[in-house]
Amino acid sequence: MSRAYDAVVIGAGVGELVAANYLARAGQRVLVLEDHDVLGGVHVTEEAFPGFRVDTCASDIGFLNPQIIQDLDLSTHGLEVLSVESGVFAPVGNGDGLLLRDGADTMASIARLSPADASRWMPFSERIARLAGFLWSLYCEAPPLPTSKDRKDLFALLGIGRRLRGLGKVDMLEFLRTVPMPVADLLDDWFESDVLKGCLGAAGVSHLFQGPKSAGTAFVMLHHHVGQPGALRSRTVVRGGVGSLASALARAFGASGGELRSETGVDRILVRAGRVSAVVMQGGEEIPASRVVCGADPKRTFLELVDPTHLDPEFLQRVQHIKLQGVAAKVNLALSELPDFGCSETNLRGTISIAPSLDYLERAYDASKYGRISDQPYLEAVIPSLVDPSLAPSGKHVMSVWMQYAPYRLQEGEWGPETREALGDRVIDTLAQYAPNLPAAIMDRQVLSPRDIESRFGFTEGHFYQGDLTLDQVLFMRPVPGWSRYATPIEGLYLAGPGTHPGGGPTGMSGYLAARQMLKQRRRQPRSTV
Amino acid sequence: MATRSMSSYDAIVIGGGHNGLVAAAYLAKAGKRVLVLERRHVVGGAAVSEEVFPGFTFSVFSYVVSLLRPEIIRDLELPRHGLQILPLESTLTPLPNGDYFAAWADHDQARQELYRHSPKDAEAYDEFGRLMHHMAMAVKPIIGMVPPDPTSLSPKDLLGLGRLGRHFHGLGDDKFCALFKLMTMSSADFLEEWFECEPLKATKSASGIIGTFLGPRSPGTAYVLLHHYMGEIDGAFRAWGFAKGGTGGISEAIASAARTFGAEIRTEAEVSQVIVKNGRASGVALADGTELKAKVVVSALDPNLTFLKLLDPHELPDDLVKGVRQFKFRGSSGKVNLALSELPDFTCMPGRGPHLRGAISISPSIDYLERAYDDAKYGEFSRQPYMDVIIPSMIDPHMAPPGKHVMSCFVQYAPYQLNGGWNDAKREAFGDTVVDTLAKFAPNLKSAIIHRQVLTPKDMEDMVGLTEGNIFQGELALQQLFFLRPLPQWAKYRTPVRRFYQCGAGTHPGGGIMGASGRLAAVEILRDW
Repeated sequence: MSRAYDAVVIGAGVGELVAANYLARAGQRVLVLEDHDVLGGVHVTEEAFPGFRVDTCASDIGFLNPQIIQDLDLSTHGLEVLSVESGVFAPVGNGDGLLLRDGADTMASIARLSPADASRWMPFSERIARLAGFLWSLYCEAPPLPTSKDRKDLFALLGIGRRLRGLGKVDMLEFLRTVPMPVADLLDDWFESDVLKGCLGAAGVSHLFQGPKSAGTAFVMLHHHVGQPGALRSRTVVRGGVGSLASALARAFGASGGELRSETGVDRILVRAGRVSAVVMQGGEEIPASRVVCGADPKRTFLELVDPTHLDPEFLQRVQHIKLQGVAAKVNLALSELPDFGCSETNLRGTISIAPSLDYLERAYDASKYGRISDQPYLEAVIPSLVDPSLAPSGKHVMSVWMQYAPYRLQEGEWGPETREALGDRVIDTLAQYAPNLPAAIMDRQVLSPRDIESRFGFTEGHFYQGDLTLDQVLFMRPVPGWSRYATPIEGLYLAGPGTHPGGGPTGMSGYLAARQMLKQRRRQPRSTV
Repeated sequence: MATRSMSSYDAIVIGGGHNGLVAAAYLAKAGKRVLVLERRHVVGGAAVSEEVFPGFTFSVFSYVVSLLRPEIIRDLELPRHGLQILPLESTLTPLPNGDYFAAWADHDQARQELYRHSPKDAEAYDEFGRLMHHMAMAVKPIIGMVPPDPTSLSPKDLLGLGRLGRHFHGLGDDKFCALFKLMTMSSADFLEEWFECEPLKATKSASGIIGTFLGPRSPGTAYVLLHHYMGEIDGAFRAWGFAKGGTGGISEAIASAARTFGAEIRTEAEVSQVIVKNGRASGVALADGTELKAKVVVSALDPNLTFLKLLDPHELPDDLVKGVRQFKFRGSSGKVNLALSELPDFTCMPGRGPHLRGAISISPSIDYLERAYDDAKYGEFSRQPYMDVIIPSMIDPHMAPPGKHVMSCFVQYAPYQLNGGWNDAKREAFGDTVVDTLAKFAPNLKSAIIHRQVLTPKDMEDMVGLTEGNIFQGELALQQLFFLRPLPQWAKYRTPVRRFYQCGAGTHPGGGIMGASGRLAAVEILRDW
């Protein structure tokens, strides 16, 4: 079958589906190819245990730009956002804990730890919201290279400068000062409570191979607060698990006339005379394509899917230098009863964070520097069945836990069943310190090491974000310096995964921006630009 | 020297460190009547040579030079005033397995040695050198400029920002992105893009952690590496040198130049306060009660002392006081000075050889440095510290009695905030750790020690006033550089008190024996005159 598509999209992750939707809505004939039977990439919900629907990898959909929901009419296509009414709960034992959410009880909860911290909470939270708000404005456009000579880019840069000044003197300087800081220093400047600082600092190292005392982690904290009303990380929960986002996107895509094939893996992308010419399926089928949108990470795209001989050695070297160091493992549990943290159920509707101090996080990181798994890991657990009971049989629950640090490269031995299960035990033991009934409540469990995430989802090194969110790899440096605008040195080949700006977290934005760039270039000359 | 305590000066410089002296020299050169007040008996601040033990002279604190700006050497004619910089020719990194890694001054020899460890790295080495040269060139104009305030709309600031923008633009995409990486990456990651040889990476990345409270795997350290690459001696980048007579020789030369231009320098004159009337500095009060008048007062002390000790905090806006309190000092290094009866004999390279005329770096691997940092993070000094060791008496024999030697060990990490605090026992334990670590590579060292002086960050604070013992008057972290150094809006050497200026390493462009802060401050003061 050879039908001429305007664009072939490789992968049905959220970013790719968003891109596919926007292209299809612009009247293009788009084909999406997904090698799994379920859609969504890392945003998948599967019946891992009979009767239990589990968010296998990503535990929430991150921040989904309301513009995308509106443009693609996702509510009509079945996306239902549920109210969580909880932010982050950090248990301290004996049923007590810190609760950070958009409500009055937050202040009281902080005051129990430190009255001084409670008095600083609102100014801090508001500042974080303003700084993250500016960051969000940078995430709504393809980043211009500061050295660009293009007049349009210069205007874009001036616009950024104006918006930055628009923050006002204090916030502008705070933004510039905060971005390169260690999140530990930022929090030490504001607060004294270890629990509060640990809980907030965790956002600075989430899915990052760095500890809170490393420079640049304050930026990551801001990154994870994009779209938030303050220094809160309230989850966006959708009915049916994270996978229902992909389902809604697929339905919207179908409604726009798009074509989707699952369980058909792409073997490679063919290039002729510097241009994309076709996509070759694992079965050998060749689908001609003049434009390909690839959701795979940049390393896989340029080192495996494309024949590297088509690329400039310097570009290849930049790709090889991308740091994507998987450090997180996932544990999914089927539970016969709710874990008993000794607190009210409402506290458990959001994220349960085990990071009792900055030093705790830092020590957890220390182990991974030398290729060891943290003895006392940093955990982020969610119980989605509390918000959406349809995910588990009546009275039972599913629980998803992200664990850090589990380095992709172990100093001793390899990832195998033994290390994987030992990791699972360690996670459960850690949680059981706060919820003693947990071990007995476990009916079934699934443990995914970074190796498993790599083989299962195709992300190099099992890195959730397809590239560390360090300052040298964000904005105009992402995925590689000079190619931050979704086009690649191969004409007609575009990237749309979280390996591109703005990275994982603001879900689907890379796909949204990639499609916008493609449509813009369609109107102009179809030439790649830096 | 004639004292003119009752008379009035054009400018009083508080602190006779090298930056204070540079500022004084430039002001005096412009015809101003200048007085420098130094608390200690000797000028130089942390750049001093002292006969600590009879017959043995040490560069007590700062021990090498490379960053001293060439324009200062020229303008102040320092060679005429006795400045003589002798090159440090090599770096030897002894390895635990009995081997060594050496970086020799001679290019062919260096390449050969590198080839022995990794042919791939030997191939990459020259290109790396070229990149770093370009990067140093790219930063040079920034080092030499007064940081513009990005929040200001004044024509001068806008002009400065425009100039900066044009400069970055002129670099082109590749160099700009390379510079951006260097500003934001960890030195370990940055070097791993180039090299595979562990001791090479470790020894190079060590210059990225000096004076900071970060490990080589923390982002931000690649910049410190560049900062140490920017040194120029006679126009050659990255040539480390050693001043004849110790680093005090540099301070003496600048002081002599300042005196020639008419500046007066008074030692053992501790300033207790800057006298402020109606928001304007009018002079200083000494610890002995004397008051001296001046049109302009310049502080070469660090931001903590400048704002919170010399001034009454009530004179200052609240956000500035808060900013100073949040400014990170966190001294992380110590110094051990040894008087030796004989030269250390390194197992990996026995006997007396050219390697003893260079630096000896205890940095066998990045993990070694990182572990050294791990200890410090939790409030202990490193059990196996990183060390940069030189034997000045090999280069300048006048530093020690005939046949004997002085050895200077820069040691990291020794956190200022030690668990339980520093005391005599802890200091000696730290000294023992240093000697034990070195003795593993040079077993005769212990028996060769005649005297030893151990300096902790606390000692540095007590002796030369550096807050928390930070050798750069504040960490060289991105959030404390350029227009953010020491504080946003106060990065142009001025203060909220009119006619009171700052000129220490706590201001742009920061630490090392560079003198640039002193020079730029003088330029700004004269502009306001």
